This record gives sequence, C-alpha cells and structure tokens, in this order.
Amino acid sequence: MSTPEAKGGLGKYVVVYIAMLVIPLLELLTAYRHPGEPQLLVTMLLFAFVGALLGVLYFMGLASENQSSVVAFAVFTLFVLATINYGWPDSFRLLFGVPFAK
Amino acid sequence: MSHTDVALGGHHAPAMEPSPFAVPAIKLAMWLFIISDIMTFAACLVAYGFLRNATPNWPRPFQSSTIASVMAMTLILITSSFIMVLAVRAARAGDRAGAFRWTMVTLALGALFAILHIREWFGMIDQGVTFSKNPWGTGVFGGAYFSVTGIELLHVIAALIALLIVGLGYKSGRYGATHIENCNLFWQFINVVWIFVVPLVYLMNVAS
Repeated sequence: MSTPEAKGGLGKYVVVYIAMLVIPLLELLTAYRHPGEPQLLVTMLLFAFVGALLGVLYFMGLASENQSSVVAFAVFTLFVLATINYGWPDSFRLLFGVPFAK
Repeated sequence: MSHTDVALGGHHAPAMEPSPFAVPAIKLAMWLFIISDIMTFAACLVAYGFLRNATPNWPRPFQSSTIASVMAMTLILITSSFIMVLAVRAARAGDRAGAFRWTMVTLALGALFAILHIREWFGMIDQGVTFSKNPWGTGVFGGAYFSVTGIELLHVIAALIALLIVGLGYKSGRYGATHIENCNLFWQFINVVWIFVVPLVYLMNVAS
C-alpha cells in the first residue's frame, strides 16, 4: 500500500517523468499543425488521458495500492465522470433542439 | 503493524474497526476528497466545453509568448510532481531531512508556478479581458477562462500552504510519512488537472 515504494530504484519514475514531459510537447506540435477542431479535441483528450493515467498510477501510487482499492477508486471516479457527462446530450438539445426536442 | 495502526496511519490509538482497503484512514479520506474534487473540475471543464461549443466566435487570443509561458509552467509543475515523489520516498525511508528538503523544493517550484500563473492573468487583464467582456468577441470567454484557471490556481495556493505546514510539521516530528503521502496525493492531483487544462483552455485556442 506504499505510495510510491520506498524501496527499489527511481528508474520507473524517471521514465514516467520523461513521458509526462513529452506529452505536452506532442500536444503543442499538434496544436500548431491546426487540424480540424474535432480531430484536435480528440487528439488533445487522448494525450491528456494518457498523461493523467501515468500521473495517477505512478506519481499518485495507485498502481502500488491493493487491487480492491484500485477497483473501488476507478469505478467511483468513472461513475462521477459519466454522471457529469450526462449533461452533454441535454446541452445539445438546448442548443440545437435535437435529437429529442422535435 | 495491526489493523488499528493501519487505520490510523501508524499512530497508537484506541481499538477501532480496520480501515477499508487496508489503506490508512487519512489517506482514504484524501482519495475520497480527490474523487469529489474531480467532480468540481470536471463540471468546470464540461461547462467550459459547452460554452466554447455553443459560441461560434470563440476567441483564440493565445499568442506564442503565452503558449511558451504555459509550457514553462507545465515543465515546472511536472518537475515538482517528480520531486514530490522523491519526498515521499525519503519520508517512507525515515529520512526526515531528505523528505523536508524535497518537500520544500516542491513548494518553491509550486510558488514559481503560481507566480507565472498570476503573471499570465495580469497579461490577460492588461489586454482588457474581464469576467464579462474582452476585445475579441463573446463576453463569456473571460468568465470561462478565469473560472477554470482560477479554480486551478486556488488549489495550487491551498496545496502550497499544506506543503509548508506538513513539511515543517514532518521535520519537527509532529507529522508522519502518511501526511507527506497525503500532500503528495493532492499535489499530483493538481498536476493531473493541469494536464487537462493546458490543451483544452490554451492549446485549442492558439492564435492562428
């Protein structure tokens, strides 16, 4: 349950640190390529999720917690995020009157 | 270490039920706080996304100089996260001097991040951006921008205060390694949120 492990080398954390530095650089390069907005959004979110996952698993130490807590935290968090995203369809309905208003 | 010790983060205390998931109670509380705080940030970012999507002439005010500054802030924050990991490792190894030193380095980097963040805000205010108006078009841009980045800055300032108090308390022996770990969780959470703020708020709105 230690976070991060006191024993063992730093190698894993250095790799994660470098990866987390590379991700914003890739995002920067993507932004200045000026792709279409939907493609840009998807790419940015993909990079951000990878960076966040690395941060949560290794820097926050979730990867070294016991499995039951990992499952509980992950399920709880995903439920929260899914619940918040419930607002999107209603937002589009308010904006465009579709798909449910007609 | 008994279940009771685990529940209380290693301190002696009256017998009580073991903590769920065999995680110290204060650490479990921090995880639950973080999960609830995710709700705050997710709601802000979803609201920001909705406003941006609903507004045809959404401003793209961020010039290269701003983006360079934001990238420097990102470098500082990610580096501070790595340094904080070193503080946790030192604390778990019982190295009080080392843990205190790394915590203070994290604090210094975090303070630098906050200063650059405030400088960025003043730059926007100098350009005429307020909560309700800006020189580029839709009025809600300022409100959305200051809300999302403001809540991040508020968390950073809160975390800096926590790092200072817990760092000093750990050095004096008042706090234990679990407290440093808790500070680490909160600091890393701020870093994770920033990873979403940068692309959604800044990089998707670079000036053409």
